[in-house]
Amino acid sequence: MSATPCAVVGVGQTHHKSRRLDVSFGGLVREAVFRALEDAHMTLADVEAVILGKAPDLFEGVMKPELYLSDALGAVGKPMFRVHTAGSVGGTTAIVAASHVHAGKHRTVLAVAFEKQSEGNAQFALGSGRGASLGAGGAFAPFIRAYIRRSGAPEHIGWKVAVKDRLNALKNPYAHLRIEDISIEKVKASPMMWEPIRFLESCPSSDGACAVVLTDEAGGKAAAADGRPPAWILGASSRSEPSSFPGRDPVRPAAAVQCAADVYAQAGITDPRHQVDMAELYVPFSWYEPIWLEAFGFAEEREGWRLVDDGTTELGGSLPINASGGVLSSNPIGASGLLRFAEAANQVRGAAGEHQVEGAQVAVGMAYGANNQYFSTWVVGSSLSPFAG
Amino acid sequence: MTRFAESTITFPYKRSLGPVVGAFMTALTDKRILGIRNGKDILVPPMEWDPTTGAELAPDFVEVGPVGTVESWTWVPTPSVQHPLQHAFAFALIRLDGATTPLLHAVDGGSSERMVEGLRVAPRWRGTRVGRIDDIICFVMGEVPETDGGDTGAAQEPVQRMDYHASITYRNPVPAATDRAVVASRNRRLLGLRCPRCERVYAGGKGYCPVDAVELGPECEVDLPTVGTITNFAIVTPVSYPGQTETEPFVRAFVLLDGTDVVIGYSPVIELPADEVRVGQRVAAVWASPAEEHDQEGGMGGAWGSLLGWMPNGEPDIDDPDLVNRIF
Ligand SMILES: [Zn+2]
Repeated sequence: MSATPCAVVGVGQTHHKSRRLDVSFGGLVREAVFRALEDAHMTLADVEAVILGKAPDLFEGVMKPELYLSDALGAVGKPMFRVHTAGSVGGTTAIVAASHVHAGKHRTVLAVAFEKQSEGNAQFALGSGRGASLGAGGAFAPFIRAYIRRSGAPEHIGWKVAVKDRLNALKNPYAHLRIEDISIEKVKASPMMWEPIRFLESCPSSDGACAVVLTDEAGGKAAAADGRPPAWILGASSRSEPSSFPGRDPVRPAAAVQCAADVYAQAGITDPRHQVDMAELYVPFSWYEPIWLEAFGFAEEREGWRLVDDGTTELGGSLPINASGGVLSSNPIGASGLLRFAEAANQVRGAAGEHQVEGAQVAVGMAYGANNQYFSTWVVGSSLSPFAG
Repeated sequence: MTRFAESTITFPYKRSLGPVVGAFMTALTDKRILGIRNGKDILVPPMEWDPTTGAELAPDFVEVGPVGTVESWTWVPTPSVQHPLQHAFAFALIRLDGATTPLLHAVDGGSSERMVEGLRVAPRWRGTRVGRIDDIICFVMGEVPETDGGDTGAAQEPVQRMDYHASITYRNPVPAATDRAVVASRNRRLLGLRCPRCERVYAGGKGYCPVDAVELGPECEVDLPTVGTITNFAIVTPVSYPGQTETEPFVRAFVLLDGTDVVIGYSPVIELPADEVRVGQRVAAVWASPAEEHDQEGGMGGAWGSLLGWMPNGEPDIDDPDLVNRIF
């Protein structure tokens, strides 16, 4: 990238749960923010601007939450922006924050995203406040049916992803779902919710928040010199497309393919399958793993499911996907995208703990939203030029 | 003249109050008002953090008031149903005795002439209090707090959550293309709009092409066939939520109209049980009878007008492996 380099030097998140009745909105986001600041060895005073992302206001019924939370986030007298790109919003929040650093406008920017689903009802909100809401599962089931039929993937692929991500979640202390006895049999036996999607192939509804501290090249290098490796942003891209028009392919959306091409070009990646060490992809229903493996260039069209089948995407495989447990294990919607970006950053910082991918130097964080329409992706590396030499 | 359609969205949200506002609300049920110490300031209502620096505040609560002084006010001559009082009143910034910041609340001042800065006011408590700011109905003139009706006492348990019944009514302009599609539907016609640039045809009164960003007027109208093939579908297991209308699994189908590139998405099906819907099934449009036309319930609503959904027409299925991909 030609702009000023930008580094992630702090990551924080809450323990994600169905109901955080013990905290207010402000209390929830502050848990993530102070963990991120502590990780960055900074205080609120070091932050020059705050970017807030969350899903539609109908989820909690708070209009303009960025204004409501400005004092909780220490943003008084500082630029404060709200980002809103449906389910991809958390990822876009990180990209907007990084843009301020890349542009040289601010030295250190805080990206924060949250959802407190227990205050409202996701099905209500996704149904625009009316009855007969399709919910996300109802909206996505036809896309998944189309993927399964065109790829010829066997039905156990969906079950395998569901088991893998829940096993990964057992290694992530912040994950919401902790299903100790998860198994193919258990997933298979769980109720059919939106044929062909079963209950255990679906994400939970979570209360949670995530925060990321981004800073400039000098800040990143200072952290590295202090023994706290940063994650360098090698590329970042957002793309979208209209919700419906004749000929639109939601399984391989043009916006997703363009987003991938753009971010890989920025990062100098020509062979994502072999140049990327791990990825955090936005997978709220298990079949989205092979769908995005294909759209984001990790596999040929109709072949993504084979990387699931042969264990490539497991934590011990050669391209681990969602080592954190992913959206299938924690889904505070607005924060889910930022969590993907933050987990990718932690992997190349060597800071992912028990779910660390050994030797990860280049990682992808990706989020999508609405009817497979909005895409945000970044590529992070342990150095600014991981492919040199 | 643009026509507007009015809609209302309501939802009973639940607010988690957190340790500080929760304590404030709990104290309200006991007819006490709490502030919190922030250096030399006493903030009312209390906050979890310093509003300027964001620094965490220790839970050092201070009881204030309940009597206070009006610092500023504005008169509300014609309240709406959402206002705290249904007759003319003042919204006022009230500095409660002992506090260093003002509390915004209603003052039942009778007339605007009686409202002055420096006015002394006391709370009128609700007899039954639940831990919400409207446990104080309003403030009244003088130094003596009042209680409205029988006093049922303080909450037995700390207040952790608050009901927040949100309701918003808004008016959206209805595109002319929608109105034309609805009128056509009364005559059992399914109207499409062909984009002059990309040739794509849009059904459902969408008066523009989202690909080319051009408006599609009456000159773009085409009649669409009312028979098609199910390309894909969703079977939704309904979950309950306030406002949910469904209790049993229901189908939403995608229908590719014969001889066109047009898919009608997310359509209800009629006389087609969820376990019998399949890709390739032949269906025909079902229209409301004239008597049903003013009742949108159960139909597709909006620009679809009298189109209720799709029903199997008895023709043999179409076997085409690419059909399933025609979701849009
Ligand atoms: Zn067009």
